Amino acid sequence: MQPGHFPANLLFVLVFAAALGLFYLTARKLCRILLLGQPEDRFDQLGRRLWGVLTFVLGQRRVVREPSGWGHFFIFWGFIIITIGSLETFGVGLYHGFAYWKILGKPFTAVLYLLQDLLCAGVLIALYYAIQRRYVERPERLRFRDQEAHDQEAGIIIGMILVLIVLLFGARAVEYRLAQVEPGQYFPLTAFISVILSVPFAWLSEPHLLEWFSFFWCGHTLLILGFLVYIPFSKHLHILGAIPNVFFRRFRPIGELTKLNLEDESVETYGVSKIEEFTWKQNLDLYACTECGRCSDNCPANLTGKPLSPKETIHNLKKHVLAKGKLLLEQGEAKEGQPAEGAAAELSKALVGEVCLNDEIWSCTTCGNCMEHCPVFIEHIQKYVDMRRYLVLMESNFPPEVQTVLRNWETNSNPWGIAFATRGDWAKGLEVKTLAENPEVEYLFYVGCTGSFDERGKKVTNAMIKLLNQAGVSFGILGAEEKCCGETARRIGNEYLFQSMATELAETINGYGVKKIITTCPHGYNCLKNEYPQFGGNWEVYHHTEFLAKLLKEGRLKPQRRLDKRLTFHDSCYLGRYNDLYEEPRSLLTSIPGLRLSEMERHRNKSFCCGAGGGRMWMEETLGVQKINEARTDQALALDPEIIAVSCPFCTIMFEDGLKAREKEETVKVYDIAELLAQALETEK
Amino acid sequence: MDVVVLLKQVPDTETVIKIGPDGKSIVTNDIKWVINPYDEYAVEAALRLKDSQGAHVTILSLGPQRAIESIRSALAMGADQGVLVDDPATEGSDALGKARILAAALKGIPFDLIVGGHRAVDDDENQVGIMVAELLAVPHLALAVALTVENGQVRIDRPIEGAKLTLEAPLPAMVTFGGAHAVWNPRYASLPGIMKAKKKPLEVKKLADLGLTPDQVGAAAAKVKVSVLEMPTPRQAGVKVEGDTAGKARELVRLLHEEAKVI
Repeated sequence: MQPGHFPANLLFVLVFAAALGLFYLTARKLCRILLLGQPEDRFDQLGRRLWGVLTFVLGQRRVVREPSGWGHFFIFWGFIIITIGSLETFGVGLYHGFAYWKILGKPFTAVLYLLQDLLCAGVLIALYYAIQRRYVERPERLRFRDQEAHDQEAGIIIGMILVLIVLLFGARAVEYRLAQVEPGQYFPLTAFISVILSVPFAWLSEPHLLEWFSFFWCGHTLLILGFLVYIPFSKHLHILGAIPNVFFRRFRPIGELTKLNLEDESVETYGVSKIEEFTWKQNLDLYACTECGRCSDNCPANLTGKPLSPKETIHNLKKHVLAKGKLLLEQGEAKEGQPAEGAAAELSKALVGEVCLNDEIWSCTTCGNCMEHCPVFIEHIQKYVDMRRYLVLMESNFPPEVQTVLRNWETNSNPWGIAFATRGDWAKGLEVKTLAENPEVEYLFYVGCTGSFDERGKKVTNAMIKLLNQAGVSFGILGAEEKCCGETARRIGNEYLFQSMATELAETINGYGVKKIITTCPHGYNCLKNEYPQFGGNWEVYHHTEFLAKLLKEGRLKPQRRLDKRLTFHDSCYLGRYNDLYEEPRSLLTSIPGLRLSEMERHRNKSFCCGAGGGRMWMEETLGVQKINEARTDQALALDPEIIAVSCPFCTIMFEDGLKAREKEETVKVYDIAELLAQALETEK
Repeated sequence: MDVVVLLKQVPDTETVIKIGPDGKSIVTNDIKWVINPYDEYAVEAALRLKDSQGAHVTILSLGPQRAIESIRSALAMGADQGVLVDDPATEGSDALGKARILAAALKGIPFDLIVGGHRAVDDDENQVGIMVAELLAVPHLALAVALTVENGQVRIDRPIEGAKLTLEAPLPAMVTFGGAHAVWNPRYASLPGIMKAKKKPLEVKKLADLGLTPDQVGAAAAKVKVSVLEMPTPRQAGVKVEGDTAGKARELVRLLHEEAKVI
């Protein structure tokens, strides 16, 4: 039987239809599993969504951020071009005389063949690189707890692609030899690799060549169809998941967590404790995961040995959603009868506590590094927070020290539990008025808990007062009327407490008709800016580094006093990754004469969390091989700085503790940028 | 088993206290009110009995309307129903007056066990629990840090210097709690608990409902009266003695002798 001749073409159509049918059934099941999830609207801004697919899928923009991404780039584009070539092969399967050049013209086909040959060769090189990385180099991020299963699966995929390419080259080479019999049907100049590979076939007679062609063609075709059927069951599910996941990606600020409806009394459960309580998009994330491990490679919890690796989380969730989803669908269809024993075990498996461990969920600092570097835009943080919401709101299950801090917020609206009436006491004797005393000001300076109560934080507040007064900014504070913004309570998962705090604070601020707010804490900044609109707080919110950079640009601050120091700057997660403020703090530092800034290896969007985010500030750090703040301090100390500049009160505390642990607190100082600027403005005495 | 918790609402321990113009009371606006911590341990102990033995838990409080918030908090933790005695005639009651009111209220509530803090952290009198037990003629076990109920007997542990005392009494009985937050770890209310608490029965009673007359309680009947409230003298800043060792010693002796007048 020869491809494209009767009855081979009929057989081909049958096999092809069967493969497509199988693929369709699996894809349909995958979609139905997604639809078990909760609704979520991701259908706005369709143009921008399509553009995202063009740049992030076809352009692989995030993938190639790392050198190894170029390997993927070639395999990806090789796959696309080869698929175009495969369509020609399928055409041949229907009718032996089918050829692209007949319908698309010779120049186009010539170019296509060149690309195909080059990319097939490129894929072979990329495969070599992939094998090298996965089985020889074995970088940390490609490791899994169940390593063997992963290596096997990757081996199958790599093997399939390898054989696919070899067979394709074989078919092309034989085709070329056959084309010598019928001249003018081939493109030796552009498909030069195939031509070179055809040399071993040179002495074969036409019938033998036809036999070889049948072999290569059948092998290639069957493998492609096999791949199609195998994809949805393998980690290459990402081929199907990634494109829609990029399309449906999040446009809202990542610093805006979802608002739970606490008014609806028919709601009986809060947070997520079952896979079907995630939204369809949250579960689509799982399909999209390529297991590249960039999330874990940048995760401060993972890198310091905590029981959290975002990649493992996503992988475990994926396994669970596929297994449980399938059973739920079957159950829905059958309605009656008991599920099988294994099925019952999967169905009753606790999402929180078994699929994801409590320690894993509590280890997250919500630093956002996983989301920043995920090439397919998986949204990890909302998932951890959703599971925390379940633990806190439904089970009251959290590290014991969290209870104290929750109580402190409830009674005194600050994490230390210091009397709320003393919140404005720091301002005694300073040149600052409350809005109650003078509501006719342009800006509200929202000081925050650390800036109001913590001795170290108060120094930064004092520096800010100096700077604002020096620049002649019209501002006021809330004083004792100020309340905690609730950011941390929300990230710990206590949405109920957060909503009551946010409602109260938004009312107080709106009561004074405030339009513009300055904050010194990136957490409060992010919360007021991105989350308070959920509570009627629509203000122009500035982080102090952003605001001071504005004053500097306008010439209202002129740092003149030299500070001859070596320093490094630590990007706060909630300032940088969450709100894209990388330049502003640096512009302030470079404006101070004498300061010599050197950057840590992990800086800007790769900045390594100080360890305090996501409520971790208020939890004991007992797990892992190292404390996150000490790991970060070591990274800073590697540059031998005299100053570590920060822009967040939590980072200040974490670095100072880190320096104490390294016994460097005498030689290296931690300063908020506002403090450095205030020093640089002082006239020399 | 029916367990009744005597619960008092007190100012949060961090509150900045201001003495009122009469010099005998504190200014009560701008105060964050909380459940008396020792009473909260009692709530926790009662709820553990509910978890293990299906006890029915009633919260009984004496105070103004704002005390309802604290009763609801206890209901959110898991208690079943609340009773508040709110009557202006109860104001100014001393410990015995309060005990009379609570004991009268307890006559209308079925109980096998009464629990409460051994003292309230506001006026620290350590009396009401004992007096209630006396008025109801039930045994009283004080300063419990552990509690078990078995075969109609209640048993508690009380820490004493270097040892532990185990006490036992037949039901019905009264137990007052000591210990600390770390001993009892009162549970944190879940959100469904908070939602359910809004719908749990909460009765507000007047003195007349308890069969008491205003002359039996309140300021008029009080045997103990507050005559004056004073703030402790604020701590003075310390003095740092500088100089070489011999000089410092000399200066220190001089200060202790002449300024502090202790030697």
